[in-house]
Amino acid sequence: MSSTQKDKNAVPDKGKILPAKEGVRKAITDFLKQSLEKNCFDAILIPVKVLDTDSYAWVLLQDESLLDQADPLPPVMTVQGGKALSSLTKHGEMYHKIAAVMRPCEIRAAVELFKLKQINLDNVSLISVDCPGAMPLSDYTADPESTKKTFENVFGKWEDSSSLRSVCQVCQRFSLPSHFPSSPLASTDSQNDADSSASDLHIGLLGGQMKQVYLIPVSAKGTELLEKLDLPPQDSLKDWESKAKGMVDKKIKKRDAFNKKWLDEVKGKDKFIGVFDECINCHNCMRVCPICYCQQCYFDSQTLKLTPEEYLQRAEKRGALRFPLDTLFFHLGRMSHMVLSCVSCGACEDACPMSIPVAQIFTAVGDRTQKDFDYVPGRNREESLPLQFYLEDEFCEVEVPNECKERTIGEGK
Amino acid sequence: MNGQIGVYVCECGPNIKDRIDIDKVLEEISSVENVKVAKRFPLLCSGDGKKFLAEEIKKEELTHLVVAACSPREHEKTFMAVCEESGLNPYLFQLVNIREHCAWMISDKDAATSRAIKYIRAGIKRVAFHEPLVKTELESNPDVLVIGGGIAGLETSLSLAGPERKVHLVEKTESLGGMARKLSQLLPQQGSKLSLVNEKVEQVKKHQHINVLTSCEVMDVRGFLGNFEVVLKSGSNGSEEREIPVGAVVVATGFSLFDPQQNSDYGYGKIDNVLTALEFEEQINSGKILLKNGKKPKSLALIHCVGRNERGYCSKVCCLYMLKFAHYLKDAFPDLEVNEFYVDLCLPHKTDQEYFDEAKKKGVRFIRTEGVKIKESKEGIEVEYSLDGKTDSARVDMAVLAPAMIPSEDTLNLARILNIPLDKTGFFKEVHEILDPVSTPIEGVYTVGCALGPKNIPESIIQSQAASGKIFSSLIPGKKIEPEIKVSIIREEFCTGCQTCLSICFYGAISFDPVKGISRVNEAICRGCGSCVGSCPSGAIRSKHYTYPQLYREVFEALR
Repeated sequence: MSSTQKDKNAVPDKGKILPAKEGVRKAITDFLKQSLEKNCFDAILIPVKVLDTDSYAWVLLQDESLLDQADPLPPVMTVQGGKALSSLTKHGEMYHKIAAVMRPCEIRAAVELFKLKQINLDNVSLISVDCPGAMPLSDYTADPESTKKTFENVFGKWEDSSSLRSVCQVCQRFSLPSHFPSSPLASTDSQNDADSSASDLHIGLLGGQMKQVYLIPVSAKGTELLEKLDLPPQDSLKDWESKAKGMVDKKIKKRDAFNKKWLDEVKGKDKFIGVFDECINCHNCMRVCPICYCQQCYFDSQTLKLTPEEYLQRAEKRGALRFPLDTLFFHLGRMSHMVLSCVSCGACEDACPMSIPVAQIFTAVGDRTQKDFDYVPGRNREESLPLQFYLEDEFCEVEVPNECKERTIGEGK
Repeated sequence: MNGQIGVYVCECGPNIKDRIDIDKVLEEISSVENVKVAKRFPLLCSGDGKKFLAEEIKKEELTHLVVAACSPREHEKTFMAVCEESGLNPYLFQLVNIREHCAWMISDKDAATSRAIKYIRAGIKRVAFHEPLVKTELESNPDVLVIGGGIAGLETSLSLAGPERKVHLVEKTESLGGMARKLSQLLPQQGSKLSLVNEKVEQVKKHQHINVLTSCEVMDVRGFLGNFEVVLKSGSNGSEEREIPVGAVVVATGFSLFDPQQNSDYGYGKIDNVLTALEFEEQINSGKILLKNGKKPKSLALIHCVGRNERGYCSKVCCLYMLKFAHYLKDAFPDLEVNEFYVDLCLPHKTDQEYFDEAKKKGVRFIRTEGVKIKESKEGIEVEYSLDGKTDSARVDMAVLAPAMIPSEDTLNLARILNIPLDKTGFFKEVHEILDPVSTPIEGVYTVGCALGPKNIPESIIQSQAASGKIFSSLIPGKKIEPEIKVSIIREEFCTGCQTCLSICFYGAISFDPVKGISRVNEAICRGCGSCVGSCPSGAIRSKHYTYPQLYREVFEALR
């Protein structure tokens, strides 16, 4: 993409800087408290540390004082925020106004679910926060204290850390979507207008030395919020932007190498089977995935169940038959169903009891497939899901290879 | 399943008998689970064959039937009828195509035989999962909505209206007659009097079973064959809205004309005495052909194919239309010099050639060109024309343009309302240009006349009568209609309400129920194409007779 692209980005170059003497988390929760006090929202959906335990849960808060236990950036992602928001808003209209404070990958999942009519965003303001990544859930449950310590260390310095989850280490979409021209998130054309942006307000942490936070209004809703709170966006975002941009560029390089490695590692039937060999068919990956929104998974249905006689015939033909059945079929099926909307949040891998690198493989396959459709899941709310939108000349290189040679599959448009 | 499946292999004369070892097939098949009987017969589609099958169904008390024979396109209906007559639900039957798929495809007899066995086993597996489907009937309204009061709309209304069938004829403008009324005289083979159109208008106005609605527009159409609800807007300011029920809709919205100002080469709107054909008609009607300065023209150019290159098609009628002017001019003003500039002449009707030859005899000059450029000159108009790289020019006093016929302005809007497609020229699209020229993909909605593309009056009339015929045979007063039986159904408990199916359904058969948060299929509109089934991520949509278990078992067995 050219550098002129940036001019088209309708993201404001001004925001409001808030001091964070007592830490950025406190600055964020104080800001949210204010918004509750001034009735900007009736409630806030945010991760909260559960008292007396080490776990975190999504809580819909109405009581300002509870915000003291809230943590907009917990060390782990227990439940994907998109999924939490879906269970809150899916059934029927909501007349109260709420804000949902989430990581950018959760925001993107929410936007995908919005397109799939699984989330109603009418009275919801999405607030995204610069995300340092999250720690593997298994590390955290094994030793919460030291994992938390490691996380705080990474968080404060915004350093690349091999102790973060693998997909977080290569996440280039950790900040405000559609802001950075060089990032694959920056969209083209009219898709980039503020109203269709993923989040309404973004909270920037980068470039503030952990001593200040940036409130960046992205949509009309976000602008209105800052107006109501008397926080005019007049401060320069330069420091935040240059720091974030530098990190995005680094991560993109890292992600490219990562994708290449994984695509090679699962290339061909044998290698693919090898990676999923340890699967115990618990389907946890499907259950925690925000994009797997079906009432019942096809692979849990009765359709694929056969009679003993039929299984024996199958075993006879192949020489042997492994049970439970259709393990690989499940992963391939799930992949083909959701990979165009995969936001690389890593929930599946966290949930895998066998430590299969599901999220890493889905990330690599997702990036490549999404590129073929010029699609970035969760980039904005207007963009249609690729399979719901008919373009006459899409993939014409597949249908009439002689007439369109300029592009081959896998290279993007 | 404790079914009693009967499997019958047809020899199809030598077609299957000579190329597949049928005895071996029977031997293998008879031991398959749930198969009660497996037999062969020389020709199952013959009278004897059908009688044999019917007797077998009863004698063997079959619960399911598999016939291994030819393509379902050939005899599926034949055998389904046998089932129905024998008291077996016709959907508990499966036809396995071992003729086209095995016997005719595979030269090695052993290979063809083992393939046939596989496919028959697949059919047996599938049929075990079949469910009996029962036809439903719906009341239908025989009335028809005709959109457009031009010649096609008038003819359609007159053909259809009668004591048992009311026609609502909706016309956007204030009067009936359409474009044909603006012509000074019709073309030679169409009778020479304007009265033809006037007669039809009068007949329609007087007809007690035609409800004429002028200054009226169609706002919305919902429903399906036999049961459409139409929302109309009328009154001078469009204030009056009402709904009428009809059983079918005929679109006869005609055409508009290409605006020659779109290409400056025609000089229209800039150079004096460059007129469109319709403007020239007005002069003819007044009986005087005069230049802007009030003088009589001495020479005149008739320009064919105006907009042909821009639009990308031939409008088919303009050649004869221009010839009509030439004849008129030469008859009325023998001294007037008449030049016709054309890209290609289109004179397909049997009397056209004679009409053209006569014009030549009268002294009309015909000039072939790849295109014209009309310029202003000192003494009038200069028509620059070129052919094969050579350019020449002619000086005339007046130029008359024959603009291309283009879709009428409401075409796109109506296409959206009716959910019917347009083709790349912007006119409505036929289901099949050659084989099904007046139907649309929506059952009960037809398009006729110039709404489908350039046409002359007789062709429009033929199409109007064709659509009327379709309606006569599908919408019989008092008779109920049978909607498609193999439709999709959405299982509520699995639907997540993502509405992907709504965006996919071509027929508009799916709607969203906001209370329950699920999508629903209107079975009367559904054509059973199965697109929604494939699009549903949760597998909540089932296509009757093509369920996942049916297909899965069949494919599984065929690939085993």
